[in-house]
Amino acid sequence: MIIRKMRHIVLLVLVAAVSAQGATVTLTFHQHATRNLFQTNAAVAEQISAFSLAFNQDISALSLFANVGYSAFHQTGGLSYFAADLGLDHLVPAGAKSAFYFAAEGAGAFYGREYEAFSTLGGSLTGAFKTYLAPSSILRVQWQGMYASYADSLFNFLSHAASLSIDKYFPTRTTLKADAGYGYKYFLHPYVPVTADPLPEGGAVVMGAGGGGWGSGTGAGSGSGSGWGGERYEGGFGFIPRAGEGGAGIGHVSVSVLVAQGIGDVVGLSASAMRQWIVSGENPFMSIEEFYLVPNPSSDAFSWDGLQLTGRITLDLPWSVEIKTGYTYSDKTYPGVESMGLDGLPLGIVRNDVRHLFEARLEKSFRFFSLFLAYSHIDNASTDPLFHWSSGYVMGGFQWNLPARRKGGLS
Amino acid sequence: MRWKAWLIPVLAALAAVPAAGQTAPGHYYDVDKEVRFEGTVREIVLEPRYKGTAPFLVLRVEESGQKAMVTVEISPSWFFGEDIHGGEKVKGIGSLAEGPDGTRTIIARELQFRGETLTLRDKRGFPSWQGGPKGRRGPKRFGGL
Repeated sequence: MIIRKMRHIVLLVLVAAVSAQGATVTLTFHQHATRNLFQTNAAVAEQISAFSLAFNQDISALSLFANVGYSAFHQTGGLSYFAADLGLDHLVPAGAKSAFYFAAEGAGAFYGREYEAFSTLGGSLTGAFKTYLAPSSILRVQWQGMYASYADSLFNFLSHAASLSIDKYFPTRTTLKADAGYGYKYFLHPYVPVTADPLPEGGAVVMGAGGGGWGSGTGAGSGSGSGWGGERYEGGFGFIPRAGEGGAGIGHVSVSVLVAQGIGDVVGLSASAMRQWIVSGENPFMSIEEFYLVPNPSSDAFSWDGLQLTGRITLDLPWSVEIKTGYTYSDKTYPGVESMGLDGLPLGIVRNDVRHLFEARLEKSFRFFSLFLAYSHIDNASTDPLFHWSSGYVMGGFQWNLPARRKGGLS
Repeated sequence: MRWKAWLIPVLAALAAVPAAGQTAPGHYYDVDKEVRFEGTVREIVLEPRYKGTAPFLVLRVEESGQKAMVTVEISPSWFFGEDIHGGEKVKGIGSLAEGPDGTRTIIARELQFRGETLTLRDKRGFPSWQGGPKGRRGPKRFGGL
């Protein structure tokens, strides 16, 4: 049923792409290989082929954008998913040096039966303002509100995030940038009712909403438990909800600074630091899990408190070749999520992950398309042994701008 | 069959859309008039460039070794995607058009600054931009490269 609907959307986008003059149409294909799809100590190898078609068309002062994609997981077929989004955006100048930007977008992702709990429909509204305070200084304010409804209502949420940034460019080719942000995420159904069954030794067995999540808990309003490591989502074992009632929202504030430096025409350097604090609430789930390329609703920018440091080098070489390398250190604590031993017993400490991420990307542009190859390596040390892991990820692919009708495209 | 019925008005609307995107005669990306440019950004403005589209980000660039200024046309939504400042040194490739009064305008295809290259159009001149603040779409990986 979903596949049939998606065929119609793909057809619509293709027809629109062919018929539209002055549109931007981009086809991409990415091939991924990993030895740790679920990012746990029980490594599961996987290969993923991801296709996407993006379409952008100006309609008067509005811009219509659409994107459809399909990601095929070759070993864990249940994780294969369609994703689509459709929206309108609008740029409103406020004088020659400033502009407002508004966007409305609807998006959906549809998974197979085994991971259907992740299937979602939602929408977002974005508003932004950017102005040149001076030719060398930019002020930007942005707000985004989101709503998402999942097949497993446990994950349903409303959220909003606002940020303010200011930067300054110096004649030494140095750019300094400071950013402050605030975000709040409200889960609409974060808890399942407390079970009336007698507590088994060490905690409670909790039947999950929407098809049978279960795990161990320590009582109403709180809980503990390790995740299932992704694989056990299959076959109807859902996510691990906490039992009882409690605050359903989690809020954070953040500050970040960035320094960027150009050296000659070839080298670009940047370093940034970000500190985020959870200022209200905590995670309503007993486990935080990340899957490679799959947006796991338990883990996002709202779930952690901590520090992130990033350094990057970009080399802009002759023959349209670009090399980027980067290193990111992060130290993240997940309030409300207790670490568990591999024996299933709580360790009495809030989960904390220290991660080292190395990345490199090589890209070559040709006349009609661009090719790239990327590699990432992660060392993740966690107070929850299930999430103590190390692995590498390889990705390659191409991006092709499909021809529109007129020579030279728009303009 | 029912889905085909609702497709008809949608396709009709899409077929009508190009009329809104028509551009001024003579102002288009001509690959036969490609030039390289290099200089310092002196002014950044948002200007209406084409009928029926959002205003474009336009740079006034003082060319290296000359006092002459050239106008470099970037893209519509890019104003929100990347931050470029007055005083920054830029170079790139674009299609040159000269007005009757001798003013020179370059429709940029590629822009290099701060050691990075931004591809605004492909080598045939077709636009590559999309988005606004959200920029690229598609599956998210960790990191930012």
